[in-house]
Amino acid sequence: MKETNIPIFQALWQIPLLLVVACLIALAVNYQRESPLSLIGDWSGSARLTNLAGDNMAIPLNEAKQLFDQKAAKFVDARPQQQYEEGHIDGALSLPWQDITNKFMESTAQLKEQDVIIAYCDGESCELSHDLAVFLKDMGFANVRVLVNGWTVWITAGLPTQKAGAANEQ
Amino acid sequence: MNSDKLVNEIEAGGKAWHSCSPFPFQWLFHISRVLLGLVFVYASYDKILNPHAFAQGVYNYQLLPDVAINMIALVLPWFELLLGLCLLFGVLLPGTTVASTGLLVVFLGALVLNQIRGLDIHCGCFSTEIQEGPAGLGTVLRDLGFLAVSLYLLFFVFLFKRRSGKTCRPQSMQ
Repeated sequence: MKETNIPIFQALWQIPLLLVVACLIALAVNYQRESPLSLIGDWSGSARLTNLAGDNMAIPLNEAKQLFDQKAAKFVDARPQQQYEEGHIDGALSLPWQDITNKFMESTAQLKEQDVIIAYCDGESCELSHDLAVFLKDMGFANVRVLVNGWTVWITAGLPTQKAGAANEQ
Repeated sequence: MNSDKLVNEIEAGGKAWHSCSPFPFQWLFHISRVLLGLVFVYASYDKILNPHAFAQGVYNYQLLPDVAINMIALVLPWFELLLGLCLLFGVLLPGTTVASTGLLVVFLGALVLNQIRGLDIHCGCFSTEIQEGPAGLGTVLRDLGFLAVSLYLLFFVFLFKRRSGKTCRPQSMQ
C-alpha cells in the first residue's frame, strides 16, 4: 500500500489544505464587505466602549472623580450584589447586570433620565458595566458613561468607598 | 465487485474504502457524517454573516491574545463550513474527522474552562445573538455529544481504511 493512502498521511495534507482555503475565502469575503472586520482589532477597554459613530462611553478617572466631588454623577455598580456589599464606590447604587430584570425598577427609581450615570465593574475586560451602560441608554438614560476597571482604579487612587450598611471608609 | 476495478479504486487514493470494507453499521456512519456535517454548516452560518458580533463572542471567552481575536473570528466560521461540507459530501474525510474532533475538543475545553472560572458568557456556538442564552452545563453536554459523534467518525474512517486495505485486496496483490 502506498503511504499516501494511509488516513493519517492523508489527514496531514488535508488539514492544512482546509485551513488555507478557509483563510483565503475568509479574507476575500471580508475584503468585499461593506464594513470589513480589521484583521487585528483594538480590544483595549476604551476602544470597546466606542460605538460605530465614534462616541466613546468610557470616562477617564480624573473626570469621574471631578463629577463625584461635585456630586454631579450617579455611580452604578454592575457587579453581583455580594461584591457590592463587600465594598463599593461611596454612594453607588447596586444594579447587578446578572439580576437586571429584578433590580431594574427598584434601583432606577433613584435615577433621572438627565442624570450623568457612571457604570463600573471590576477588571479591564469586565463586560458587566458595558452591557449595563448600553442597556441604560436603551432605557432612555442619555448620559451614561463607563469607568473601565472602575473598582480597581477607584481604590488604587484612594478615593472614597463604602461597605453595605457601613459609614464611609475614606 | 470486479477485483480489477477494486484495485484501481484502492490505488486511486482510498476512494474504495466506502464500499469494500466488511465494517458493520455503514448506514450509521453515513447518517452520523451527514448529521455532524449539518451541525457544522449550521454553526458557521450566523458567524459568517456577523463577524463583528462573533469577534465580540470570541473576545468574551478571554482565552486568546487580542491580536488573534479578529483573525480567528474571520477564519473559524469558514473552516467550520468547509468541514461541514466535506462531511456532508464525504470528501477529505481523514483530515476532516481529525480537524472536527480537534475543534470540538478545543470548544469543549474553552466552555469547561469558563465554567470553572465562573465567567458568565454566551456560548456563541450557533448564533451571535444574546438570546441564545448563557453557556451552561447543557452546552457542555451538547458539545460532548457532538464530540462523541466526531470520535466515532474518526475511528470509523481510520479503522475502516486499514481493514479495507487488508480485506479488499485481491490475492494477486499480496
